[in-house]
Amino acid sequence: MRLSFPRPFPDNQNPEAILANPSLAPDGSAPRSRGLSDLAIRNLFIIPTIIFLIVFNIFPLIYSLGYSFTDFRASTNAPANFVGLDNYRALLSDPFIWKNFTITAKYVIVSVTGQVVVGFGVAMLLNRDIPFKGLLTTLLLLPMMLSMAVVGLFWKLLYDPNFGVINYALGLGNFEWLADPDMALYAIAIADIWMWSPFVMLLSLAGLSAVPKHLYEAAAIDRASGLYTFFRITLPLVAPILMIAVIFRTMEAFKTFDIAYILASQPTTEVISIRLFKMAFQEWQTGMSCALAYIVLIMVLAITNIYVKYLNKVKER
Amino acid sequence: MTQIELRNINKHFGPFHVINNVNLTVKDREFVVFLGQSGCGKTTTLRSIAGLETIDSGEILIGGTPVHMLKPEARDVAFVFQSFALYPHLTVFENMAFPLRAVGMAKAEVAATVERVAGVLQIRPLLKRRPSALSGGDLQRVAIGRALVRNPKAMLMDEPIGSLDAKLREEMRVELKRLHVEQGSTTIYVTHDQIEAMALADRIVVMHAGVLQQVGTPAEVYANPVNLFVAQFVGSPVMNVADVTVSGAAGAGLVTVKGASEGFAFPPALLAQVPDAARALKLGIRPEAIEVALTPAEGHLAAEAHIVEPLGSHDIVDIRVGDSLLRARTRPGFVAGPGTPVWLRLDPTRAHLFDSETGNSLGIRL
Repeated sequence: MRLSFPRPFPDNQNPEAILANPSLAPDGSAPRSRGLSDLAIRNLFIIPTIIFLIVFNIFPLIYSLGYSFTDFRASTNAPANFVGLDNYRALLSDPFIWKNFTITAKYVIVSVTGQVVVGFGVAMLLNRDIPFKGLLTTLLLLPMMLSMAVVGLFWKLLYDPNFGVINYALGLGNFEWLADPDMALYAIAIADIWMWSPFVMLLSLAGLSAVPKHLYEAAAIDRASGLYTFFRITLPLVAPILMIAVIFRTMEAFKTFDIAYILASQPTTEVISIRLFKMAFQEWQTGMSCALAYIVLIMVLAITNIYVKYLNKVKER
Repeated sequence: MTQIELRNINKHFGPFHVINNVNLTVKDREFVVFLGQSGCGKTTTLRSIAGLETIDSGEILIGGTPVHMLKPEARDVAFVFQSFALYPHLTVFENMAFPLRAVGMAKAEVAATVERVAGVLQIRPLLKRRPSALSGGDLQRVAIGRALVRNPKAMLMDEPIGSLDAKLREEMRVELKRLHVEQGSTTIYVTHDQIEAMALADRIVVMHAGVLQQVGTPAEVYANPVNLFVAQFVGSPVMNVADVTVSGAAGAGLVTVKGASEGFAFPPALLAQVPDAARALKLGIRPEAIEVALTPAEGHLAAEAHIVEPLGSHDIVDIRVGDSLLRARTRPGFVAGPGTPVWLRLDPTRAHLFDSETGNSLGIRL
């Protein structure tokens, strides 16, 4: 007697039937009775995005690379003359540009360190059993969802020497946060930390909740103190995901423009993006600014590469 | 000297009473196995001793000191997890050194201790590897190594070989026994595998629904189960249990399996001990206590083999008697196959009578 079982799959989803007769596969190779094939649907989703990327990202990228070797000025009708590496040479030997890079580096270090410390700290607190955890997490994510310009204006009010709540709360009188040449960069970094710590917090929280509970139990049995457990278990295991947060935030901080532009216009707060903006759209040195943009890009790529190498090393464990 | 005492401990998970008034004393250097089905509370009890769970009431004493209010790190016990719980980012050496470094032991001493224990467990060649590069058996050795390095007051093991394959489990069982003999630390071991329990334990603690059912040596628990749960949980194949009636006709006692036309002859002296013959009773008899003959013999009942399972060293033969199937152990090939006529006798000295209602043994022995 032959037993017959109900068929679990229609033929075009049944792995065995597909192996025996590949034309059954639902990949568009077999004619469909109606509607679009899977391939057509896939293309419908992907092609517009690719066109958009080419027109607005890839094309300007390549076009600006060409401009970076010319003396082109977008404010005149004069034709662009090829100047070779002159723009790059001029920029890299300009002490003012290096000053901008130094300011940017200082800003990146303060801002990213602050975000990691605050973000990871809050994530550690949220990783416990506390009431209203979900609501609290959502509320803490709010700064990240605001527009940069709004955050800039918002902090401008907070820092206001006359009626700003920060001076009031800290009892600093009429301290000029944004006009003080030494303090302004830190003031911007604080606003950036406030805005982007939640991002680090979110990734850290994902990393922390992925650490198996039994490792903490094992550490407790092994008589490890809280601090020892943190440095020997928690931190190494969360490091890969924390590194990803650091990579993203470093890239973003390196390119910071809007919040710094809105909050202060000090020479001490002129990060590289502001210099770039001024060069391109105030001084109209289009060719030169394209070259500077490429230098920034290469630097960001180099830093990211160092992080990624470290990340891979951490992940190998 | 490390004696572990549990006094009236209780624990609830929501509405579930997972540890129900457990009292137990584990003597110094004793190897005690908590045996029971999944969800019977054995792991929770073990975790409570380690401090990984808090108890609702009662007392836990280790070496005479009450520890139930202390954190795990203050109880000085080692714990081997079913999942091994090795630190994935640390090497085998670092994993084993962790409990020593955590308490600030000197570097040279750490290295010497880890080397010594690694030698005992034969894992020296693995010291530089990470857990991800180890086999199941090696992971288990490392987990035990991490527990052994600290020379703890007590070793607590939660199904430490449960996730290994059958062959490796057998090897590791022998190794655990050897280690205990050599190290001699007070050990509590949790398992649902009764063979493991029988092989390893000085004493077995059978648990069911959060309640201790029986505490005794493997031989005691096997030979004298206090109730039907223990009778049917310990032993492989399990004890046969059948509804019976007892009578004392014609000078000889008879135990008749429900639905059977004839009864098995039992000594009247034994059946006279049954307090109330009218009460519903169950007979418990281990497969090896059923004598099977291929020709009619005195005191044997005629029956027919139903299924024969050849297991190599012996056969298990299912024989229908009345409404019940009794499983008997015979030498290989003794019963040719299903349908073979056989004659049975039960060994009264190894028979048990249980109260059907309560499931408790009547405690009647010849």
